[in-house]
Amino acid sequence: MSEIFEEIKEAVIDGDEDLAGELAQKVLDENINPVEAVQQGFIKGIEEIGNSWKAGEAFLPDVMMAADAMKAGLAVLEPSIAELGGGDDDTGKIVLGTVEGDIHDIGKNIVGALLTAAGFKVYDIGIDQKAENFLAKAEEVGAQIIATSALLTTTMNAQKELIEYLEEKNLRSKYKVLVGGGPTSQTWADEIKADGWAETADEAVELCKKLIS
Amino acid sequence: MLPKFSILTPEQVQTVHDHTMKIMEEIGLEFSYEPALEVFRGKGLKVEGQRVYFKRDFVEEMVKKAPSQFTLHARNPENNLICGGENIIYMPGYGAPFIHEADGARRSATMADYDNFVKLAGASKNMHMTGGNVVEPTDVNDSIRHLKMMYSHIVNSDKSYMGSASGFEKAQDSIELAAILFGGKDVIKEKPAIICLVNSVTPLKYDDRMLGALMAYAEAGQAVVIAALVMAGSTGPATLAGALAVQNAEVLAGITLAQCINPGTPVVYGSTSAITDMATGSLAIGNPECALFTSASAQLARFYGVPCRGGGGLTDSKIADAQAGYESMMTLMAASTTGINFVLHSAGILQFYMAMSFEKFMVDDEMAGMLLRYLQGIDFSEEKFALDVIAEVGPGGHFLTQKHTRKNHKVELRRAELSDKQSYDGWGKEHLDTNQRAHKKWQEVVASYEPPALEPQIRKALDEFIEKRTKELSK
Repeated sequence: MSEIFEEIKEAVIDGDEDLAGELAQKVLDENINPVEAVQQGFIKGIEEIGNSWKAGEAFLPDVMMAADAMKAGLAVLEPSIAELGGGDDDTGKIVLGTVEGDIHDIGKNIVGALLTAAGFKVYDIGIDQKAENFLAKAEEVGAQIIATSALLTTTMNAQKELIEYLEEKNLRSKYKVLVGGGPTSQTWADEIKADGWAETADEAVELCKKLIS
Repeated sequence: MLPKFSILTPEQVQTVHDHTMKIMEEIGLEFSYEPALEVFRGKGLKVEGQRVYFKRDFVEEMVKKAPSQFTLHARNPENNLICGGENIIYMPGYGAPFIHEADGARRSATMADYDNFVKLAGASKNMHMTGGNVVEPTDVNDSIRHLKMMYSHIVNSDKSYMGSASGFEKAQDSIELAAILFGGKDVIKEKPAIICLVNSVTPLKYDDRMLGALMAYAEAGQAVVIAALVMAGSTGPATLAGALAVQNAEVLAGITLAQCINPGTPVVYGSTSAITDMATGSLAIGNPECALFTSASAQLARFYGVPCRGGGGLTDSKIADAQAGYESMMTLMAASTTGINFVLHSAGILQFYMAMSFEKFMVDDEMAGMLLRYLQGIDFSEEKFALDVIAEVGPGGHFLTQKHTRKNHKVELRRAELSDKQSYDGWGKEHLDTNQRAHKKWQEVVASYEPPALEPQIRKALDEFIEKRTKELSK
């Protein structure tokens, strides 16, 4: 059994999405415990790539492709894990997107991948998203965090509008709202009463860990 | 002037062009602005949804309509600039939301910072224009920010400047203000007075805001820089050849649109392509790859017969330190020696365009002065050989007391303005490094700067227009 866990770990490290999915299917077919496959295989792989990245030995394509491979495998295993009653209940859920009027998404995608790699469940709703879409997704999945990205000084105001929208709906205290993107800053986050700001993707991961713990 | 050097062979230029045409014909580009799609449909191009498939012959024909050079008019005609040919135009950085102080502290930029950068550029011997959007004045409401910015350029200097590119309406306001300054829209249609910066959204897209501005400027006969910033490794291939082809496709698509709207619209081929920091995903601009993109772009623009924008005093450093200096010199020198005509971001930029620094501005201004001297090259006219003076001094003498020396050193030997050339003891009296000297100097320049006078009736007309628009836009 430890052999397949090792293969899963390697598939994640190689960023091989197809193989990760196939191995996850094999776990189900052979009645191997899916929770163990996640813990001994997928998470081990993503941890290793994460450590190499922190050490400056792996780079973004390595980390982002590993996160994609892990996602592909988890998608296959999740229904069985849910059946077993083991749950994703304790995983932090984050709704992530680029605000209305802004179509830049590289930074958001990097943050999404690193959060996934850190074990968060990330719901990326894409670019140019209205406040109501952020909230609808967060309600649907039961997220704890809403994270918004803006690259332009002309669109960052939409981050403020999202917070006002949540206040309007009396749901502000239900969610931690994070802001990020080139022109944003801690001062900006304070000004619009966001719950946090991070300049880089790895700082964003640390921030989410702190907020959810 | 020094001859411009080329980094690509003619065969390499041709192969970039051929691959670019394949991208434009087979992959196509997306335009999220209906009026632009209408223009392309009207020209018989295949449009599917928002994706436009260009034909090679059509692109080549349209690009040929763009002028190889044009004059950018300033309110003081002595400051008119020819954009294209052998000429080079330096100006401040563009679009940064933050100011980094001399000690590295970061804060949001304000309108007062904006005025100060315009004044520094106005006072500089090395900045040919006062630029545009020199910082994002975040203390001014976004709806009227463009009016305040234009006004600052107009009243604080008589050099030419850039207009707003934030959508059709703000572009129109910029054109109206220029029309008031120059005596009517028909005047500026003949004599382009403003130029704006239109950026693609890499890879292979244009958004409505930028296309709106492009169409407003093209219709009014004003000049447009059409620029692409490919981040090799993230928004474009990690290989420079592929990234260059993506950039080229985007810029040519923009130039084609401008020429469809108004044939002969003055355009500038723009490149700010650089690389991705593969550990963090950040843009990284102070590097040899960016210098290569800049140099290759100058050559591509020559191939297409249009002026070129690229490079600048570019750095990823957060403070005016040694890294800021050596990175900026590499990218500004590459732009200057390979034939870039329009150098946005010549002065002030820190941290991959995120911040402006007054100290860095002064450092870059010094570099710009050094490079302008370098570009002049060596004057080989007969009297410059000074054979009679060499004969008079003879072996073992010195030239310090020759009239020829007294007359010529001021012309031939550029005197540094910021760099320290003193003895150790001379330097030791104040013990200031470059950053500290720059900090002192920019404040002195701003304090002693007298903006050139503006005719009172023109100023009144500008004030009235701004007051009216401010009311309308603040509703």
